[in-house]
Amino acid sequence: MDAPVRELTFAQAIQDALAIALKEDERVFLMGEDIGVYGGAFQVTGDLVERFGEERVMDTPISELGAAGVAVGAALTGTRPILEFQFSDFSMLAMEQIVNQAAKLRYMLGGAVSVPLVFRMPTGSGLGGAAQHSQSLEAWFAHVPGLKVVEPSTPHDAKGLLLAAVADPDPVLIFEHKLLYKMSGPVPEGPYTVPLDKAEIRRSGGDVTIVASAIMSLRALEAAKVLAEQEVDAEVIDLRALRPLDMATIKSSVKKTTRLLCVYEGVKTLGLGAEISAAIAESEAFDYLDAPTIRLGGAESPIPYSPGLEKAAVPQVADIVEAAAKLARGRI
Amino acid sequence: MATEVILPRVDMDMTSGKFSQWFFQEGARVEKGEPLFEIETDKAAMEVDAPASGVLRGVTAKPGDELPVGSVIGWIYAPEEKYETRPVLAKTASEPQRIAPSSGEATHREKTSTEASPGLRATPMARRLARERGVDLKEVSGSGPNGRVQARDIAATERPPAAAGRAPLHSVWLRQGQGAPFVFLHGFGADLNAWRPLIGVLSVARPILALDLPGHGKSALAGAVDFETIVGAVEASLKDNGIGVGHFVGHSLGGAIAGAIAGRRPGLARSLTLISPAGLGPEINDAFRAGFLQARAEETLAPWVRLLTSGETAYQSAMMKTTLRQRADPRLVIGQERIAASIFGGGAQAFSIRESLERLTVPVKVIFGRDDQIIPARHARGLAGAVALHLFAHVGHMPHFEAQAAVARLIEEAAAAGDALSSS
Repeated sequence: MDAPVRELTFAQAIQDALAIALKEDERVFLMGEDIGVYGGAFQVTGDLVERFGEERVMDTPISELGAAGVAVGAALTGTRPILEFQFSDFSMLAMEQIVNQAAKLRYMLGGAVSVPLVFRMPTGSGLGGAAQHSQSLEAWFAHVPGLKVVEPSTPHDAKGLLLAAVADPDPVLIFEHKLLYKMSGPVPEGPYTVPLDKAEIRRSGGDVTIVASAIMSLRALEAAKVLAEQEVDAEVIDLRALRPLDMATIKSSVKKTTRLLCVYEGVKTLGLGAEISAAIAESEAFDYLDAPTIRLGGAESPIPYSPGLEKAAVPQVADIVEAAAKLARGRI
Repeated sequence: MATEVILPRVDMDMTSGKFSQWFFQEGARVEKGEPLFEIETDKAAMEVDAPASGVLRGVTAKPGDELPVGSVIGWIYAPEEKYETRPVLAKTASEPQRIAPSSGEATHREKTSTEASPGLRATPMARRLARERGVDLKEVSGSGPNGRVQARDIAATERPPAAAGRAPLHSVWLRQGQGAPFVFLHGFGADLNAWRPLIGVLSVARPILALDLPGHGKSALAGAVDFETIVGAVEASLKDNGIGVGHFVGHSLGGAIAGAIAGRRPGLARSLTLISPAGLGPEINDAFRAGFLQARAEETLAPWVRLLTSGETAYQSAMMKTTLRQRADPRLVIGQERIAASIFGGGAQAFSIRESLERLTVPVKVIFGRDDQIIPARHARGLAGAVALHLFAHVGHMPHFEAQAAVARLIEEAAAAGDALSSS
């Protein structure tokens, strides 16, 4: 608990976790396109190939389906692979292995096997990646029983969640928002884990609950500062875990604030916020709602290349401020 | 799915609006954003835009209708949508809950239902709080979009904002009927139920509204406790109940309030019957005030209740019970102590309605018992010549109990004379 703490970027924190996993458990190895000599598309793996060798930091051919198949097979036979997709958008090519194989095998073989496998999923918009490199598809995977899905918003949680994912016996997808890679924060040295099923209250408040994850958590916190100047006291919940969802934390917050705003970058319709909103409406927290539950999600459109439109397509701080203020004042 | 056309809230205080006109007829094509209809508020006429594009159907509002905020007054159907497939709500929406017209001539129903009416908007939390606290949602004015009742509106029924003096008072239509309604205002320390015995012997068929004064019965005390604020709260409550004209009957403090309101709002009172009214003279029995308020038990209350009447009456035990029931609610005790300190402090009456009565041209009757030990009957001396003074021997502060039949007849006479005067 008292390990020295340094400032690391989100990318460095992940690399730190990868290095610890490689060092502590020889069953662990990394796979991915350009993660070796090149150091990864977002320079997350960096010099790990020099430190741990090509057998444990493996460049794969440009075939996501092939790499995922190898990873599932390797996990089944006793190793602990960590597979990086260059962009989570490309995991579409590997859906068969992720959804039909990794998620199902333990169930279909009656618990005789498990698939201890981690998929790293660089995700989200904001870097001008356009329609095929900027999506937020985490809700797709969070819909699948047999998978665990997490999405950190801080370097601390990125490291802790990744180490927890490596230790977990089941397939875990960790979504890494690309805008976070260069953001820094305190990260303890050495190994530690963050639970794969617990949300974190980042700011305590009494007027409105804002539920968000990844970059949206940071925007919600920014919004909360502005809202405080407008005398709206927002509570910000950073989901961290999308499957399973930590509904207990959200429910008790909503019972306190009586208002719920869900902020997520994925397309609004049939998304994460819809699920949370409905789960609250079905729960005992319903009788505490003093306003409709509100979703702020991505536009019903592919992510545009134009920087102005790209920004407009996903919730920004000003959008959160406006929605939360209206909600808290009983104007929605 | 058809879109509701709703009477919107256009300013903060608005609970109802007067519909003035449609800009389109039933069946017309409308475009979203075009002015669709016009409403009038206290302040201005407002155009309201169409909430959707399509065909206007099922319009229910007519010019002059006074409707609660949030009423569904029509529907906009998609062009291809069949009108026959009316949304479920349409049936109830076609008969929006109309507020009693300002003439006060309509048939009134007793407002006692605790069931939410169809189309009523309230958040889950507001519904839960109303359930838990026994609040009738229909009597709560919603501050949310389209008049939606929110938790704070339920809270406001218990703790009204200090400065407002505008908390809705508890009111009950004790009788439905035809004609300008009677409005009954009870005395200090009583509640609207005090009128029930008298009303039982009234023979006229008018609607009867009775209010609980602030800090009495089921009405919260709204902030300031001076006479003006209390009168203002009653006035507002009359407006909420759609009373544009009425025959006012008040006892003691209620008599003073009735006199003050009649003076302030010419045309509101068609007749005035003031029973042992306060506000005519300088003093009031201070020992009674203090002893009456302090009494918490039958033994300590009994001597003060005996002081109210000249001799024994059949209603003494009922009065005792009512009073002791109120003593059980600390908010009422505190409220009534504050009111008493403010307007009867030191045994002086801090207000006067003499000038009000001078100005009135409607029939006014003042009824006193010669043996009144709370407010002396001599206060009725020197009133304007047109005011009829009825003095009862062997009667104390409670003529409406002690001389029930005679008082009922006088009230009916005043009302009949007032109606005759207004139609001549």
